[in-house]
Amino acid sequence: MTGQDIRCEGLAKTFDGSGPSVPALSPLAVTFHAGQTTALVGPSGCGKSTLLRLVAGLEVPTEGSVQIGEETPAQLAKRGALAMAFQDAALLPWRSVRGNVALGRRLARQKTDPALVDDLISRVGLSGFEDRRPAELSGGMRQRAAIARCLASQPELLLLDEPFGAVDAMTRNALNRDLPPLWRDRGTTALLVTHSAREAVAIADRILVLSPRPAKIMADLTVRPNLTAGQVEAALLKAA
Amino acid sequence: MQFIVASPIAITQYVFANAGLLSRALWTTTQSAALGFLWGNLTALFLAALVILQPRVERAVTILALVVFCLPLVATGPILRVIYGPGEGPQITLAALAVYYTSFLALRVGLRAVPQSWTDLMRSYGRGSWDTLVTVRMRASLPYGFAALQIAAPAAFLGAMVGEFTGAERGLGVLTLRSMRALDTDGTWTIALLATAVSMTVYFAIGALATRVLKDRPPLLLATPSQSQSQPIWQMGLSAMGLAVLVLVTWHGMMELFELNRFFAKRPADIWSFLVTGPNAESMRQTLWAALRETLTLTLPGYLAGLGLGAGLAMTVVMFPKLSALILPVAIALRSVPIITTAPLLILALGRGAVGTITIVAVMIFFPTLVACAEGLRQTPGAVSDLFRSYGAGRLRKLALAQIPAMLPAFFASARMAIPAGLLAVTTTEWLATGRGIGNLMALTASTSNYNMLWSATAALAVFALIMYLAAEAIERRVLQRYASEQTRP
Repeated sequence: MTGQDIRCEGLAKTFDGSGPSVPALSPLAVTFHAGQTTALVGPSGCGKSTLLRLVAGLEVPTEGSVQIGEETPAQLAKRGALAMAFQDAALLPWRSVRGNVALGRRLARQKTDPALVDDLISRVGLSGFEDRRPAELSGGMRQRAAIARCLASQPELLLLDEPFGAVDAMTRNALNRDLPPLWRDRGTTALLVTHSAREAVAIADRILVLSPRPAKIMADLTVRPNLTAGQVEAALLKAA
Repeated sequence: MQFIVASPIAITQYVFANAGLLSRALWTTTQSAALGFLWGNLTALFLAALVILQPRVERAVTILALVVFCLPLVATGPILRVIYGPGEGPQITLAALAVYYTSFLALRVGLRAVPQSWTDLMRSYGRGSWDTLVTVRMRASLPYGFAALQIAAPAAFLGAMVGEFTGAERGLGVLTLRSMRALDTDGTWTIALLATAVSMTVYFAIGALATRVLKDRPPLLLATPSQSQSQPIWQMGLSAMGLAVLVLVTWHGMMELFELNRFFAKRPADIWSFLVTGPNAESMRQTLWAALRETLTLTLPGYLAGLGLGAGLAMTVVMFPKLSALILPVAIALRSVPIITTAPLLILALGRGAVGTITIVAVMIFFPTLVACAEGLRQTPGAVSDLFRSYGAGRLRKLALAQIPAMLPAFFASARMAIPAGLLAVTTTEWLATGRGIGNLMALTASTSNYNMLWSATAALAVFALIMYLAAEAIERRVLQRYASEQTRP
């Protein structure tokens, strides 16, 4: 199942709080191509997550718009075609691994499918842990369960907000190796926010390097055939 | 001494001699308390869900709920008695009124106690506030729900008994009145101990159920720092006027909606006429003010003593962990005692003068404050404690610079909640025993069907409680902004 291109046109976001306004995103125009995994990299606080949350419909743009094919993010979410993984896994502590993964289908208004849920749990390497609660899992295992929950609804658009940011380097490498094929093989469009150039190269087809806040696109890099993490880091340094 | 303290043997003999009477009374009171507990908590759940689903109405709902909670139960009782007629209606309603506000506050905290990523998860699937409430917030609020039920159990018993004090035919409250009037020390002690035993049993049963379901004890801190924002004075004035209009319109509207007879169900216009434009308005105002002043002179010292002693003892026990292990479990258990039901004992011991009343107010406030402040002191972040240890700072320095600021939100939350509790204690004591102050005025006007004065006294006390509450909230906001700003964010 291949999704639709995501078109951001003149997309900008400014946060108004009790203090002065904080511009998080300069008006930017960018298209994320269907079926590709695009990584957003940039310095801390540059607006990567804000861009992702705008695409998810979790933030309202100050200017501009996001279109996914002919739909808005809200319309895509309503029909259960969007799934998002967060920095902290966001597993419900009172549900087992199986219950959390199945929740992805329930929230997407889809029929229960125990076989699919068990298959996903197995494919993310959590066989034998189906009935465990999140508190009984390691950080890496929780993130695996969160990704399985995202994939349970077979989304057209997958948004990953630094899902592996809090796990150790070895686990992170394993997750970077094991998990992307699960969505790439289905042709799912994915957007990944990460701090790590190495992770971006390992997972993405395309990397956008963002400037410090308010974010602007400083480099648009294609990973294959031979982009290296060093080149991405150089682009990051230049952007900063 | 035998007129003050009943011996265990005398109490046992009283129980055996009056087993039938006591068990019937206990059953009646427990039934009223249980129904009030149910209705009060359902109302609290409804209100908490409402403010989560419609945050715009939160301030109005919270203030209306507070105003109703500040209505003195001893005055509401006779009014409800006239409205309901004979039966258990007033006791059940008073039990619900005694329960719903604290449960509402706890559930509101609980329903909000979810990480943003959980609500984002729901929104990323296009799910709205209702689905988030049902799927995530309800379950996440369970620890707070159990804690609210624990506190509600003695409160419901207290409400039911106050209802019985104000004109019921059966129940432990009625037996208490009879024993007091007959100077029956054994009876008074037995009934107070029975009420305490039932409340503590329910309190611990809910705690045990919570531990079984949650695999953890329910939280001890229920009230959070006030979320109200600093506003310019003109805006505060405007919002206060808006809320006053809302309260008056709701008051009038409810009376008209239920077509309550104007003879006993007074409207705001009746009170205005009685206190401001009527022929005897000035003399009525003087009577009301004299009674209110007498009550306040007893409430304030008791209120300050209860808060000060509670916070002071909390600081002392936290500095000495062995003392803390000894005292805090007892304090947590005593928090479950419906203090008002023991008021007759304290009056027996301390007399009907100011000391007795002040002591009852202080005791009512002392235990919840002690538990909340001790828990607040424990909220000091571990890294901050380590920092003080790394500099070799002594206990006092750590207490002053790290632990007291961490305790302040819990202290102020207690100070706010103690206002209606203190007024309930003082008015009930005046009603039952001392024959002074606004509690006594309410008792007299209820028995002579002077409903204009009864409603005026009720409204005056509610307004005073509200002013005290808002003043405590304003002080809290200023102090926390200075000393614990990170703890005041929503």
